[in-house]
Amino acid sequence: MSVMEAGTPAAGIRGAAATSAETAARETLLSVENITLSFGGVHAIRNVSFEIAKGEIRAIIGPNGAGKTSMLNVINGFYHPQEGLISFRGQERRRMKPYEAANQGIARTFQNVALFRGMTTLDNIMAGRTLKMHRGFFWQCLHWGPALKEEVEHRHKVEEIIDFLEIQAIRKTPVGRLPYGLQKRVELARALAMEPDLLLLDEPMAGMNLEEKEDMSRFILDVNQQLGTTIALIEHDIGVVMDLSDRVVVLDHGEKIADGMPADVQANKAVIEAYLGVEH
Amino acid sequence: MDILYQVFIDPFVQMVELPDFFLQVLWEGFVSGVLYALIALGFVLIFKASGVFNFAQGIMVVFAALSLVGLYALGLPAYVALIATVGIMGILAYTVERTIFHHLVNQPDIILLMATIGLTYFLVGFGEFVFGGDPKVMITEELGLPTGSTAFDVLGGLVILQHIDIAAAVIAIIMVACLAVFFNKTRIGRALRAVADDHQAALSVGISLDQIWMIVWFAAGIVALATGIMWGARSDVSFALEIIAFKALPVLILGGFTSIPGAIVGGLIIGIGEKLGEIYWGPLVGGGIESWLAYVIALVFLLFRPQGLFGEKIIERV
Repeated sequence: MSVMEAGTPAAGIRGAAATSAETAARETLLSVENITLSFGGVHAIRNVSFEIAKGEIRAIIGPNGAGKTSMLNVINGFYHPQEGLISFRGQERRRMKPYEAANQGIARTFQNVALFRGMTTLDNIMAGRTLKMHRGFFWQCLHWGPALKEEVEHRHKVEEIIDFLEIQAIRKTPVGRLPYGLQKRVELARALAMEPDLLLLDEPMAGMNLEEKEDMSRFILDVNQQLGTTIALIEHDIGVVMDLSDRVVVLDHGEKIADGMPADVQANKAVIEAYLGVEH
Repeated sequence: MDILYQVFIDPFVQMVELPDFFLQVLWEGFVSGVLYALIALGFVLIFKASGVFNFAQGIMVVFAALSLVGLYALGLPAYVALIATVGIMGILAYTVERTIFHHLVNQPDIILLMATIGLTYFLVGFGEFVFGGDPKVMITEELGLPTGSTAFDVLGGLVILQHIDIAAAVIAIIMVACLAVFFNKTRIGRALRAVADDHQAALSVGISLDQIWMIVWFAAGIVALATGIMWGARSDVSFALEIIAFKALPVLILGGFTSIPGAIVGGLIIGIGEKLGEIYWGPLVGGGIESWLAYVIALVFLLFRPQGLFGEKIIERV
């Protein structure tokens, strides 16, 4: 938790949205209950429940194939579980739809970077504002009057995000041409452009070098603290998980095997066995 | 040396000696270029929004034209029939989206391509079942499109312009301008490009694939209708028109599959190139080069600029 404490001077900026881990624990932003997801005979997730409190960074860890990404896909509606309930901001549903999830304030990034490769960084991030733009078709085609004003307003917001993530220099570059680390950052920018309440990050640091990881960690903390965004994070780098997250849920073979503070989870016998194998 | 003279000098001498005839050939080429561009436009629309070469565009042209003629034959006034046909293209877009593409989200492009081939065969059969197989005449005059021609005195000769060709050019230019603005300047246009690039990512930012696909198929349907009217006015309306869709292929290779201005410029290059080639160089090999010259031009282009003149640059990081 050392990084979190180091970040506390930022508490003033967080303002009313800011809450310490303890008070946050009371208000649940998202909860999944008894989720079971299978593809034919393969059980990707079995009867998993956990909740994400408002304002926290919640890590989801586990060995490969544990069902972490499937879980994110259930949360933002790409997969529909056979059983279980998802409730977001108190509203219960059997299944989420991607459009609904986006509209209600859930944004995400992808493990294997899903950007609009042919478009520039700027256009990619503007695409994240799709749901925030409302001007009618007619005005848009004219590209004049209210529609132009709207476009300019959103452009301002996007510029703020670009400054925030320090990607000014690549504004006009088609993202397909960017190095991997920067692509990951553009993806984060696009998610932030949605001004989400809940941000799902699927291995934001995979394939990065140490320096890039440090940058990304700093951005994630800044997003959480300055913007008050709740974050669910899948990450393999245990060091990063321990530093960043408030609470950790551990999945293995589709089942939840531990849930708690990073230090407790780290000491948990079942978790150690899942990662290192059991001694026979 | 004689052959070199005939290839490199003689055609240009002819062009200069008979400038009025040269102008006439250019105009003919321009008009067919515009019409090629119209067909290519339908392909570009769907390619931009789903990354798929829509095999069914040709049959959609036929289907739209037959619907229009068929509704008129039922006794509807020409303009009512036109509006009703727009409605039919809307229904077609909705049905195609609901029954086919809705179920193919996140599938590889090749699957979508196969789906459009399937759609083509279905529409051929369905069209013959509903409208019958005989050729029909386009209701050009009833729609208020100009007929007749005007002859201009230029360069010591006559250049004859068919009015319907002028109308075709004007309609095509208006359509292209609208579509270009729509794609490049609007939120929906950005969403369309986003969908073509990555389905999952588009969904995650709240873009509705269903809505986007319906919009592009409808737009492609409207373009098909315009194409059907213009081509139908020059020949007759029959299933043979479907073949012209393949004329769009070299146009697309030349202009780039994703570019609306590319479709236009590509169409004009192919149209004018074909006519000039046929008239001035065709006799050297006994004529009839018009039907394959376009593909040769496209092939040469592929060697040097595989993304086309205006296509998005192919980006590959390895």
